[in-house]
Amino acid sequence: MPGDHRRIRGPEESQPPQLYAADEDELPAARDPTRLRPVYARAGLLSQAKGSAYLEAGGTKVLCAVSGPRQAEGGERGGGPAGAGGEAPAALRGRLLCDFRRAPFSGPRRRAPQGGGEERELSLALQEALEPAVRLGRYPRAQLEVSALLLEDGGSALAAALTAAALALADAGVEMYDLVVGCGLSLAPGPSPTWLLDPTRLEEEHSAAGLTVALMPVLNQVAGLLGSGEGGQTESWTDAVRLGLEGCQRLYPVLQQCLVRAARRRGAAAPS
Amino acid sequence: MAAGFKTVEPLEYYRRFLKENCRPDGRELGEFRTTTVNIGSISTADGSALVKLGNTTVICGIKAEFAAPPLDAPDRGYVVFLSVPNVDLPPLCSSRFRTGPPGEEAQVTSQFIADVLENSQIIKKEDLCISPGKLAWVLYCDLICLDYDGNILDACTFALLAALKNVQLPEVTINEETALAEVNLKKKSYLNVRTNPVATSFAVFDDTLLIVDPTGEEEHLSTGTLTIVMDEEGKLCSLHKPGGSGLTGAKLQDCMSRAVSRHKEVNKLLDEVIQSMKHK
Repeated sequence: MPGDHRRIRGPEESQPPQLYAADEDELPAARDPTRLRPVYARAGLLSQAKGSAYLEAGGTKVLCAVSGPRQAEGGERGGGPAGAGGEAPAALRGRLLCDFRRAPFSGPRRRAPQGGGEERELSLALQEALEPAVRLGRYPRAQLEVSALLLEDGGSALAAALTAAALALADAGVEMYDLVVGCGLSLAPGPSPTWLLDPTRLEEEHSAAGLTVALMPVLNQVAGLLGSGEGGQTESWTDAVRLGLEGCQRLYPVLQQCLVRAARRRGAAAPS
Repeated sequence: MAAGFKTVEPLEYYRRFLKENCRPDGRELGEFRTTTVNIGSISTADGSALVKLGNTTVICGIKAEFAAPPLDAPDRGYVVFLSVPNVDLPPLCSSRFRTGPPGEEAQVTSQFIADVLENSQIIKKEDLCISPGKLAWVLYCDLICLDYDGNILDACTFALLAALKNVQLPEVTINEETALAEVNLKKKSYLNVRTNPVATSFAVFDDTLLIVDPTGEEEHLSTGTLTIVMDEEGKLCSLHKPGGSGLTGAKLQDCMSRAVSRHKEVNKLLDEVIQSMKHK
């Protein structure tokens, strides 16, 4: 990077060996479109963060930490009518700052630590999906910082980050209306395009369209939706969303168990 | 009551433990925290390692790519270390760090790791060269601290060493007719890691007492730090003493002997882990 004197520099350009490999492209194997990969979730594992969570689904590994509430930067904003339940007026509500980062070694090609626009888009998507679930009115003039780090990208990275972020917020004791569960989908191209739930990285690379849905399972409300590509007719997209929401509901019991275990661990470790 | 005293007078609280030759977490002055290492967990990286030193957690991932060798040394490759840049030392690991470009601590750590690798000659740069003047390997070593509880230098050096031992490079041949590289991703071989540098960090208290493997709190209360990097056969690789209280020669010798014994411990641990990987 020109002018970046804060990091130790290497060569100007470098190419990954995969470019020169003689292998043909691997095609993803056929599979049941509604299968969800087994998920391993653990909350409360970082000592320095207020709340943390680690989620592993197939090859995707995400670590998320929450810190705060801290005094919000950016000065005072005016008041307004108070919200319900003793919450602060809308303009004084707390803020949620989300940060989504990919580790440089998380994908097939190395990415420079200075993330590009994609990471900012995903950070914004994270924030938009988590906001409906968090009772920000209870943290006036404060900010909560959520940072998600993708250690390995095995497909459905944003969905995994959403779920991990919600678990971390719950682990931190932040007041929430409900958890947020994320699920990824991708459209396998071909003569009869089918939507695949929880795609692997290979399936995502070969897909014609991708979609991530975020659901609040108990309230049964969609918290976020991000998709792009050539999905075909509108019915195709609605089918995909329905499939995604079912997937989220199926994931929910695992996450509940994870939080209960974390709370038990915390209770056992606390000095009586 | 103890918790209250600790908040109000942390230094006195520590002094009382140090007088009895132990520390609040029950360790002795020369004892390290439980070290665990896990290698090869990130399948997208060519080599990876996760090291936990008590609560301090560092993950190292290595990606290998091709590049033209440096102009001033056409028969060598590059080993590039991007260690703990602030972007990768996120508020995730400690509330001291903010998002943005690498801060001072990250840059100092990066430079320290680079120096250790340069001085210890852990990899012969000639080993990384595929075709002199045209093609060489670049090893991007990215260290990310996941949990910052003191003694980041030791954890980073260990993670880097373990990851380098785990790196497998595919076989490359240069096709004479097209002068292009041909990579065989199925045939991989391990890197030739020539030495095993192991770092041992100490914190100085009240200009006199030396404790090994300081936690975050201990580092904060200390009056100086010292890091010694040892190689096999007791060869000194690097010594890092950024200011702080002065040390007598005798104390330095004690530190070095502790560093030698730590080197044996770490080597043993690493060998066990690598053996268990090979058996899979």
